[in-house]
Amino acid sequence: MSHGHDHSHGSHGHDPHGHDHHEPGFLGKYVFSVDHKVIGIQYAVTSLVFLLVGFTMMLIMRWQLARPDEAVPIIGGLLARLGITNAGTRSLLPEGYNMLGAMHGTIMVFLGVVPLAVGGFGNYVMPLQIGAKDMAFPKLNMMSYWVFLAGGIVMLASFGANGGAAQSGWTSYPPLSNIALSGQTWWLVGMVLLITSSLLGSVNFITTIFHLRAKGMSLWKMPFFVWGQLVTAFLLLLAFPPLEAAGVLQLMDRVADTSFFMPAGLYVGDKPVTSWTGGGNPLLWQHLFWFLAHPEVYVLILPAMGIVGEVLANNTRKPLWGYKTLVYSIIFLGFMSFIVWAHHMYMTGMGTAISTFFQATTMIISIPSVIILTCFIISLYGARIRYNTPMLFAISFLPMFAIGGLTGLPLGLAAADIHLHDTYYVIGHFHYVVAPGTIFALFAGIYHWFPKATGRRMNEFLGKLHFWPSLIGMNMIFGPMFFVGIAGVQRRLWTQVDYNLGQLTQSWVVFSSVGAAVLGLAQIPFIINFFSTALAGRKVTQNPWDATTLEWAAPSPPPHGNFLTEPVVYCGPYEYSVPGKKSDFCPQCQPMEA
Amino acid sequence: MSLLAQTTWWLPPDFSEHGWQIDRLINWLHYFMAVLFVGWGVFLAYCMTRFTWKRVSMAHYTPVKAKASKVIEVAVIIFEVILLVVFSMPVLAKYKNEPPTPADNPFEVHVVAQQFAWNIHYPGPDGIFGKRDIKFVKDATNPIGLDRDGDPNAKDDIVSNNQMPLPAGRHIIVKVTSKDVIHSFNIPMLRVKQDAVPGIEIPVWFKVKEGTTSDAIREQMARTVVVPAAGESTTAYELWCRNNLTFDEVKGADGQVVLKKGAEPGKDHLEALRAAGVKELRVGPRDPVEIHCTQLCGLTHYKMRGQVLIQSQADFDKWYEEKAKGTGDFIED
Repeated sequence: MSHGHDHSHGSHGHDPHGHDHHEPGFLGKYVFSVDHKVIGIQYAVTSLVFLLVGFTMMLIMRWQLARPDEAVPIIGGLLARLGITNAGTRSLLPEGYNMLGAMHGTIMVFLGVVPLAVGGFGNYVMPLQIGAKDMAFPKLNMMSYWVFLAGGIVMLASFGANGGAAQSGWTSYPPLSNIALSGQTWWLVGMVLLITSSLLGSVNFITTIFHLRAKGMSLWKMPFFVWGQLVTAFLLLLAFPPLEAAGVLQLMDRVADTSFFMPAGLYVGDKPVTSWTGGGNPLLWQHLFWFLAHPEVYVLILPAMGIVGEVLANNTRKPLWGYKTLVYSIIFLGFMSFIVWAHHMYMTGMGTAISTFFQATTMIISIPSVIILTCFIISLYGARIRYNTPMLFAISFLPMFAIGGLTGLPLGLAAADIHLHDTYYVIGHFHYVVAPGTIFALFAGIYHWFPKATGRRMNEFLGKLHFWPSLIGMNMIFGPMFFVGIAGVQRRLWTQVDYNLGQLTQSWVVFSSVGAAVLGLAQIPFIINFFSTALAGRKVTQNPWDATTLEWAAPSPPPHGNFLTEPVVYCGPYEYSVPGKKSDFCPQCQPMEA
Repeated sequence: MSLLAQTTWWLPPDFSEHGWQIDRLINWLHYFMAVLFVGWGVFLAYCMTRFTWKRVSMAHYTPVKAKASKVIEVAVIIFEVILLVVFSMPVLAKYKNEPPTPADNPFEVHVVAQQFAWNIHYPGPDGIFGKRDIKFVKDATNPIGLDRDGDPNAKDDIVSNNQMPLPAGRHIIVKVTSKDVIHSFNIPMLRVKQDAVPGIEIPVWFKVKEGTTSDAIREQMARTVVVPAAGESTTAYELWCRNNLTFDEVKGADGQVVLKKGAEPGKDHLEALRAAGVKELRVGPRDPVEIHCTQLCGLTHYKMRGQVLIQSQADFDKWYEEKAKGTGDFIED
């Protein structure tokens, strides 16, 4: 470790800045910090803002779907300036809908969920949980955040590009994306920055976990959350480079007229395409894209599973059931996630030999998911469950993720996929995984670790006022999508009422939109809770949840360098309710005989 | 509530010969998913209510010896293997690997997708497709670039915009491609879906059930629409009237015809219907079997809609002969 701080200042334990001899200024401490906790909070706050931005985009789209071609309330006039709504009627334009669709997906995945799960929680919690003073490469860590922020700004700024932001979906399939207006170029530049940021982060995570664990912290004593982050980091490291390459190739197709993804003989609008010589293959992009984007699904879900594991063990007051099985399962998931990508492409004319392979791997990958879910649920058996807000979010993750996972099966079998591919069924499926699944786990994490980061505990009443309507709203939005999809209505439509099958399911669409409003309102107590607690919440001790893992052995908030004395690990991560002990938990850093 | 009563809850009707296998797989998968979900849910609910902070004084440290998880996992594996090997792979193989043979006397049609229309290319009575080249493309008259002058086989070809008449009871091969971006050729009510990829021509085949006609499907999908009284919301009425035709002649109390049979009801007729004391209408979709584009293809992707007109072979032949006579005709939407 490069920064050799002196941590023998035990008596000054509650002063977060202790004997820091080269006290950094305000900028160095809170803005251009190399401290993993500050970077973690920067990531978390930035990504929460992006989640809100992405969510707002969804609200606008849901308004249009429920009330086709009617003026967007409140911000309709403002959006007209960006070419998203009609300047006269203030209703959402089809190009505006496509922009919001592409950017909602991009923002939620690459600027919201992943940076919160990995950049935020990973950065803040992981080094604490393994007993490290910081990440292995603090400056690389800082760079990772700033490159990420630059990527985010480029993405948002693209709304000001000529013709607006990218409109080709978050998947950006060529030739559509190649012939699109300049917003697509901004999107590609933004993606290259975001991918670079993720790569820097993943190298750092892997090195930190392998090299900076506290004395006694063997791999099998690592909390499940750390395992989740480790597998995630490998996925990012190995899956992102193909997309980075693909992004650069598409960028070249757009700005240098190469033809990697452009076949010959295209005729667009009223004239033949002459800017490209052709000879490329648009399906190549899909292979490269999904080679990333399927592992990306597990990048979205594994950190969430890690958080759920921590919160479950802590609030069931018993060891996580099947800890080793869980770890083997996520390693297996990580491995398998590299060989299922073409199940996104069954409709491209793929031969049966290849599709049989991908169907088989897709069925195989469902097994560890079933095992993980079963382990989590069995963990509740014989427990002593404490229903606080983090636990409510963590428990509800289980049935929500179950719906998301199970509905992947009909999509994974190519014959059923013939009917369901690219319908609302798909939207329902992956949103159940990511929204009431991952995002609920992330909320659980925020409520769980907030006392660690601030020394203050979030309000329980507001927490429950956040949880229950969110649970209802999420299910109101995404549940009906299965019916709309099974009825045969395709996704990415500005309005579906022109189609017979769309008419027959339009009432579900309206219902979903009402759910979106409910979900929106449900976030108000959270926002109030977040800021009021940070400023003036109830102060708590350094281990308010009576938890076992190492982060709770550091002061709240932990000072620069984290621990007052170097922690030594004596036991596994979830020694709760050990028979014969006075207390119902044995911290990892205390010998068991205490 | 009238909206919900009209809502579809499950699969749309299917008029193809192969579709039942897809539907069966989808149904069985959902039974299986429901069993797993309910099983998990019941156990979860039991644990959540049984092992609360108040009812338990100390959690069990020793892990439960749960055979259940192994049983669940093995059962899931077995069931998935059965679904994959018995119910998915053979269906897909037939769908993808076994095209109709010449003995089946298949009828071949080409589909050339473009932003934002479906061009349907029929070979004409000679059964041979004329050559296509983008250098002959003229948007209004020759969207697929058919070589009408140079290629004698092209003389009797028929090109149709968004309208796709097809005979029932005959094997049909559709070769799907695109002029510009990727589209996806989807007929939900025939359980057909195939991406249209520029530069590649991909075949897909199916057979509409013998005896099916669009008229019969329209009857089958008919529904009753309540005419809203003055002052009531017309949103639902307008939605249900969209792209629908009336089945019967609608007469008022005085015997005056308000809507002719086959007319398109809508907002314009509302006053007249109310005045005549008409409470409800029976309507059916104008084009009951629609072609959807399921791949985002640009600005007006949402209205890239085609119509399949299913006819008896005899009716189809009549239409085919007639259209082929008008050489060079382009059939407008």
